[in-house]
Amino acid sequence: MGKGEFILKRIVQLLLTYWVILTVLFFLFRLGLPDPTAALVVEGLSAEEQAMVQARFGLDQPLWVQYFIYLRNFLQGDFGVSFHYKAAVFPILMEKFLNTIVLMLPAILISYTIGPVLGVILSWKRGTRIEFSGIVSGLFLRSAPVFWTGMIFIMVFGIWWGVLPTSGMRTVPYDADNFLTKIFTLDYLWHLILPALTIALYYLGLPMLIMRNTMLEVMGEDYIELCQAKGLSPRTIMFKHAARNALLPVVTQAAITVGMAVGGQVVVEVVYSWPGLGREMIQAVRTSDYPMAQASFMLMAGMVLLMNFLADMVYGYLDPRVVTKGEGR
Amino acid sequence: MSTKLVVLICLLMFFGLGSAVSATQVPEFTIITTTEGYDPIRYEAAFLIQEDWAKLGIKVNVQPTEFSTLIETFYNQQDFELAIVGWSGRVDRLDPQHFLGTFHSGQADLRGNNPGGYSNPEYDRLFDLQGKEFDANKRREYVMEMQAIAMEEQPLSVLFYRDEVVAYNKDVFDGFVPMAGEAIYNEWLPFTVEPLGDERVLTIGTTQEPDNINPLDSTTVWGWKFMRLYYDKLVRLSPEIEPLPWAAESVSAVDDVTIEVVLREGMTFHDGMPVTVEDVKFSYDYVVEQDFAYFRPFYQPLDRVDIIDDTTLHFVLKEPTAFFITVTLSQIPIIPKHLWENIKQANQLGPQDVPTVGSGPMKFDRFDRGEYKRLLKYEDYFKADEIAIDAIDYIIYADSEGVYTGLITKEIDMTAWRLEPAQITLAENEDHLQVVSVPDFGYYHMTYNLRLPALDDVAFRRALAHAIPHETLANVLLDGRGERGTSIIAPVNAFWHNPDVPIFEYDLSKAKQVLEEAGYWLDGEGRLNFPKCQ
Repeated sequence: MGKGEFILKRIVQLLLTYWVILTVLFFLFRLGLPDPTAALVVEGLSAEEQAMVQARFGLDQPLWVQYFIYLRNFLQGDFGVSFHYKAAVFPILMEKFLNTIVLMLPAILISYTIGPVLGVILSWKRGTRIEFSGIVSGLFLRSAPVFWTGMIFIMVFGIWWGVLPTSGMRTVPYDADNFLTKIFTLDYLWHLILPALTIALYYLGLPMLIMRNTMLEVMGEDYIELCQAKGLSPRTIMFKHAARNALLPVVTQAAITVGMAVGGQVVVEVVYSWPGLGREMIQAVRTSDYPMAQASFMLMAGMVLLMNFLADMVYGYLDPRVVTKGEGR
Repeated sequence: MSTKLVVLICLLMFFGLGSAVSATQVPEFTIITTTEGYDPIRYEAAFLIQEDWAKLGIKVNVQPTEFSTLIETFYNQQDFELAIVGWSGRVDRLDPQHFLGTFHSGQADLRGNNPGGYSNPEYDRLFDLQGKEFDANKRREYVMEMQAIAMEEQPLSVLFYRDEVVAYNKDVFDGFVPMAGEAIYNEWLPFTVEPLGDERVLTIGTTQEPDNINPLDSTTVWGWKFMRLYYDKLVRLSPEIEPLPWAAESVSAVDDVTIEVVLREGMTFHDGMPVTVEDVKFSYDYVVEQDFAYFRPFYQPLDRVDIIDDTTLHFVLKEPTAFFITVTLSQIPIIPKHLWENIKQANQLGPQDVPTVGSGPMKFDRFDRGEYKRLLKYEDYFKADEIAIDAIDYIIYADSEGVYTGLITKEIDMTAWRLEPAQITLAENEDHLQVVSVPDFGYYHMTYNLRLPALDDVAFRRALAHAIPHETLANVLLDGRGERGTSIIAPVNAFWHNPDVPIFEYDLSKAKQVLEEAGYWLDGEGRLNFPKCQ
């Protein structure tokens, strides 16, 4: 099988998977969430007035008609109108998506830069107290719930010492009118510190431990022995020769993490009142805002699929055996 | 005990459908209530009631339900036996029309406001009478009698009225005037708040954000609590709930169906254009023409608006309507004709295209979803000299923990919505915070589905009422920040509240006695049974 054929096959699989996800999303929300007009009763609207609202959002149509309208709109790139905001979903989605990205990417960058380096050091110091405490703290960070770390940070840095802001992306009042003027400020970086640190610490353990494990495997290979025989310093062997080869699984993990990150760290966004996509998803589900919920999950699913696809492609490039493996040749 | 039911049960037994004992057992009931996470108080209340009713031989299950599902099950499907829900005290509900309407038989259909299905012709008759009565004192008599009738029959049990407990930073601002049901975040805020130092921007922390800021499309109370600060109304309700002519110089009834409004002169919109009778007429015509569902209960009685001269308008009603001045004129905002008249369909406007020009005390500056809102003082407002602040900032938090942290770190000066029970005690121990407790006229209630056997029996419901630990609910669950429920019109709404409605004291032996007198009896399993056939 050639490379082109492999890519084509993966693309078809990707589209098929995506269609299944779209269908599941549609029915999941409609069957699982309460009637979106229910909330209007509490506001004192009569049955007739609720029917007006239902008709406006097409909720009076049979389910299968709604489903085909949904698919058609999706193909046309139309994500519909949010029931809650009564405004087009797409601009809102993009706004929240970007807010989430500028929180998640720095956090992931931090953890995937520091994590592997720490992993190398741990494998280097194998059997020492450093390795032991490194592994324990890695596991600890990985298992500490982020809302807990978040609350501790807020208490210490926000309330006790009062040195760092604990909510939002910027200090009010502000004048920023577009996305770029919003994030190219010191104020934004200032607000980013605590939430990004919370997420980075949580993500740190995984690349660190993966790196350590693969390093230990790689260190047993013949070429490392050769390096040692050549009289290279341990530092050079570790970082220049071994780490390079051990990095591959970390790269895959990073790609998947980025894909998942689109949905944000819902809990972190709530704890720090970060106006991101995760918070939006919760609200959409809570208010039975089908179009908003669908679009956010579509975006998240799309990103996960895309990043997995890219990881596959990169793998195929780095290790050509992947392309033919599993084809029974 | 309704005789129909007795006959029915007897017939069933006669035809041998089921054994004598099991066929007459009062069935198990299920209470639907909120989840603990949504509202721990309503959740706990259900379990306390379950415990007490068990002592009467009535088996009850508690089913905590996610809030919107609860609302849907209760109102849209009426698929419930017992439900603990509530009505919030929104300012237009100070007029008794809305709450009284929740017992009207015309509202008993699916999606109506009377899911329990209460129906009483005498009550309905009085409801129609009070709705048309302009004389407040006469209307009050009807309203009193209706409460007496309904509460005597206990179609639901009013469990409690819960105080609104909020806090503000007393080192920075003062002068807040609390209002029933609205606490300190009410429409008098711009006029009453006094800066104590140099800080002249009041910062409010909130978790509730407007759904949108289109005055012809917002259907949440949080949209309106925001917009009413920059739109003006003909009438405003004073903190003592008296209707005050506001953008109107005077409001008077010419006859039963004609209300004359004289517009205040010299008012301007935030874009500098004058506010004219044309704008006022347009505002009312436009909400009717656009058929804006949210305002329907308000404008339904309106037939037309006539311009008499440069400052005078006549509102002509389809029939006499008691609440028109207090509710309709105080809720529908005045919008500028020159910005809206070419908009064919107001609810199709994109968020960027919605005009935000009003003529209220504050003017709109910005709204960033999930983050921030800002209003500025309108310097040319006719009462601008009574406004001591320059701006109101709103920080929108994701949850109430965020709001509370904001209070502690002094990021915000006040809260827009109630504190969580656990935060109240903490806030009281902070030197810079002032905690304010304001009685509410909204109420939490347990509604019985009157279509079901046993629940359709007045005696049975009265017995249940005697077995609801009202005092425990108010004193323990609410920690004394609230009052036991009596009537659907709360005591704080003093003019309309009937203090003489029957009160069912918590008394289990009394409850047993009521059941016994109605013929109910306990079987060997300790379960309550329907009265035996005569």
